[in-house]
Amino acid sequence: MAHWRRIVAKLRSLLANKRAEDDLAREIASHLTLLADEFERGGMSPEEAQLAARRAFGGVEQAKQAHRDERSPLWVEQAIQDLRYGLRTLCKSPGFTITALLTLALGIGACTAIFSLVNAVLIRSLPYGDPGRLVYLYTPNRQFKLPDEVFGPAYRDFYDLKRDSHSFQNMTAFGQSVFSLASPGAAERASVARVDGEFFRTFQSTPELGREISSDDNQLGHENVAVISHALWQSMFGSTADILHRSLLLDGKNYQIVGVMPQGFEYPHSTDLAYGESQYKTTQVWVPLALTPQQTVDRDNSSANAVARLNPGVSIARAQAEMATIMARLDKLHQMKGWGGLVENFVDSTIGQVRSLLWLLLGAVSIVLMIASGNAANLLLARAAGRVRELGVRVALGAGRSRIVRQLITEALLIGLAAGTIGVAFAYLFLRVLPRLNPGNIPRLNEASLDMRVLLFTIAVSLLTSALTGVFPALAVSRINLTDFLASAGSRSVAGAHTRVQSALIVVESALVVVLLASAGLLIRSYMNVESVDTGFSQSTVTVNIGLDPRYGHPQAVGFFRNLFLRLQALPGVETVGAVSSLPLSNSEDLRMFVVDGYPNQNTQLAEVRWMTPNYFSAMRIPLIAGRLFTADEKPGAHTIIINQSFARKYFAGRNPIGGRVSRQDDPTRWNTVVGVVGDVRHTSLEEPAEPQIYEPDMEFEGGYITIRSSLPAKSLAANVRAILHSLDPNLAAGDIQTMGDLESEASARRRFQTSLLSVFAAIALFLALVGLYGLMAYTVSRRTNEVGIRMALGAQRSDVVLLVVKKAAFLLALGLVSGLVATWFVTRAIQAFLFGIGRHDPTTILSVCGLLAVSGVIAAMIPARRAAFIDPMQALRAE
Amino acid sequence: MPIPILQGTLDLMILRTLATMGPQHAYGIASRLQQVSEEALNLNQGSIYPALVRIEQHGWTRGSWGRTENNREAKYYTITRAGFKALNEETQRWRQMAAVVEKLLTEEP
Repeated sequence: MAHWRRIVAKLRSLLANKRAEDDLAREIASHLTLLADEFERGGMSPEEAQLAARRAFGGVEQAKQAHRDERSPLWVEQAIQDLRYGLRTLCKSPGFTITALLTLALGIGACTAIFSLVNAVLIRSLPYGDPGRLVYLYTPNRQFKLPDEVFGPAYRDFYDLKRDSHSFQNMTAFGQSVFSLASPGAAERASVARVDGEFFRTFQSTPELGREISSDDNQLGHENVAVISHALWQSMFGSTADILHRSLLLDGKNYQIVGVMPQGFEYPHSTDLAYGESQYKTTQVWVPLALTPQQTVDRDNSSANAVARLNPGVSIARAQAEMATIMARLDKLHQMKGWGGLVENFVDSTIGQVRSLLWLLLGAVSIVLMIASGNAANLLLARAAGRVRELGVRVALGAGRSRIVRQLITEALLIGLAAGTIGVAFAYLFLRVLPRLNPGNIPRLNEASLDMRVLLFTIAVSLLTSALTGVFPALAVSRINLTDFLASAGSRSVAGAHTRVQSALIVVESALVVVLLASAGLLIRSYMNVESVDTGFSQSTVTVNIGLDPRYGHPQAVGFFRNLFLRLQALPGVETVGAVSSLPLSNSEDLRMFVVDGYPNQNTQLAEVRWMTPNYFSAMRIPLIAGRLFTADEKPGAHTIIINQSFARKYFAGRNPIGGRVSRQDDPTRWNTVVGVVGDVRHTSLEEPAEPQIYEPDMEFEGGYITIRSSLPAKSLAANVRAILHSLDPNLAAGDIQTMGDLESEASARRRFQTSLLSVFAAIALFLALVGLYGLMAYTVSRRTNEVGIRMALGAQRSDVVLLVVKKAAFLLALGLVSGLVATWFVTRAIQAFLFGIGRHDPTTILSVCGLLAVSGVIAAMIPARRAAFIDPMQALRAE
Repeated sequence: MPIPILQGTLDLMILRTLATMGPQHAYGIASRLQQVSEEALNLNQGSIYPALVRIEQHGWTRGSWGRTENNREAKYYTITRAGFKALNEETQRWRQMAAVVEKLLTEEP
């Protein structure tokens, strides 16, 4: 208690230092007077008495200093002196200060911005209770050579697992559907999660209003209840208080609203499930799963998504072992064998895919920060060299070396912290721009903000930067040799040592720049490769997703679309209108096991299947390679199919595919005849080659994607389409109207994001390194004015002088390039996974990087070199 | 030969002086200490200043400016309630310490 009180008193005395000093002087004076009075009373003369008083008192200055030391913490007092002195010297050279500040602020700002991303995406905990105990459950069948995450458990397996396992506290099964959600005056498509009674409990999330969906709601006949998201409550119901008395119209059916989830709970997001609905970013409505008795006993359709919460203390490995044991038993009950169990960490699945990207970006900004620190250190060094006289005099007058080092580090700290403050402002601006850069498939990217953790990070980074920046000048200065200094009358005894450190810093900086430039170059080349991928379809085709609700029976739906096609076809400028069950790059497709006549079939052959109207290929400009396309009078009973080139290449190698026969594995005698082969289309992603594909004619189209090729601009066509849809059925829910180009651009958004960020960082790094090189050369020239003057007086040409400077710059650059290339050789392993269609040692990229650095480096060195060349020898010599 | 002041005992002596004599200035305290010790303590009058500021910062004394009988200005220190408490504790501790040391010194081997 008394202890902290004393600390407070000490600190307070710092603030009131002057008053305490005055008080002390006055007290000692009075003390001396009283002593002297006493001696005078003893019979001394006033002069004698004063001397005696001083003798009795002891050293006045010593007493004062002892008082001071006792009164206030010593280091704080000195630090305040250093701070004052530092501020004063920094303000005296504003050019230096501003350059150093902005350099560091740029580095710290970039670091802070990227860290705020890392924080939002990777560090901040997911809002699901203790998310570390959540797991996804899969029942993969490796025979299909498909990713394990495709195989959610069949419901029967799910319930058997739930009954027999002991690893899990909760298990929930849920599905996703797209419903048409009627709102006043219009209808929209909404992603709806169909959940069992344990869904919300598993996620440990409770509604902010009302109740969650219970097991009772999942009894057939009770399933018309819904829980809605906070966002939907706001947007559709204006946050009305009587929301629990309202209802929703989903696909024409009435659902009583029983609960509203709090903000932040919108699971599943489009980024959560690798093979889920990806068109809708968040889930807005949850309704009961309400399985039919047939679904409950179905063991063959791997259809559910399953999430479980581990019991406390149970590891994933233990749960995995238990699940594998149970699945080994259940596998025997399946018609087809080979089903296993897989437990995957929920958090890793959610953010695992972007983890490496974010670490890559953080690595890149750290390099930028290191270069910025190097530059600031160089500036400080250059300035310290200019201050040799001042510092030398201080050492000569008895200032401790440690005190001078501390002084320099204090200056670096001042610059570092100020730069940190500006850096936070930079980061704030960056976060304002971020939503525009958001590629849409990085979970929680838009939640990035400057929270406490980010600010602490920035402070730490600023301190670290200051230390990095301050340590070199401090070391150099502490080596000032007093005798040399005095002997040389204080001119440049330490300059040599200085420039060696500075040159080393420049070499390191250029090496780092090479690494960044090469990485950015490789990513840019990869992006260009992705952009030039032949997708197999036309980018200008306009598409819209339309699903009819249950008001329409089959004949009405078919009639609706026939009518729609006619109306669209009649629009001026429209060339072709087609339709397909699922578009390329829309993340949805059907897979089918099949048998090819005359081929050594395996029972795990899979192909993608799409149903389309005859005009689809023409609307998408997918080229016919062989045979014919479907025609308008394709007979449904004729069982005609069209395949893509990949299919033909793999299953009809060396044969004519036209007339070849393909059947379903579960119906092997009903043969479909191949009538045509069309070009490959990148269906899954831009970066994966086309898979074997089967197209079947759909003469009674009743829902899916409409594709329109026209000469109209996409915008006006979209308006026309919307008007037609509205006139046909004002309550119809249509999805976004997009061109295939939009879809393609969405598919490459993540790559664009990482490429542009890394390129910007590389550009900043290059710029900083060039500034550093320029600074060092300019400094060298100014230090060597005298020498240059002598050389010129002795007959050196201007070109010789230019060469002298540029040669040194070129030497440093070359050293940097070589070490940078060595580093690049190893470091690019980290970005291997981000490359597409290019090796990580691609010589063209590496050579361009070297060329770029060499040329820009020499240009940066030319400016001070030319200045050196125009030194007037007479003036230079007189200046000494 | 004067003895040096044992580390930490000066605070106790000053507090005790203030407790028995009432408010005193630095000169008064120093003189009292010299008088009581019969010049046995090696004490410059100036050397009590760190102790004065230390106990004041602990909140054990309060300083205020006043005038002496001879109308000289001086800073008077008054012991506070916390100061009395600290004095008690320090006295206890000193006695225990002294007793232990004494016992050790007189005990037969």
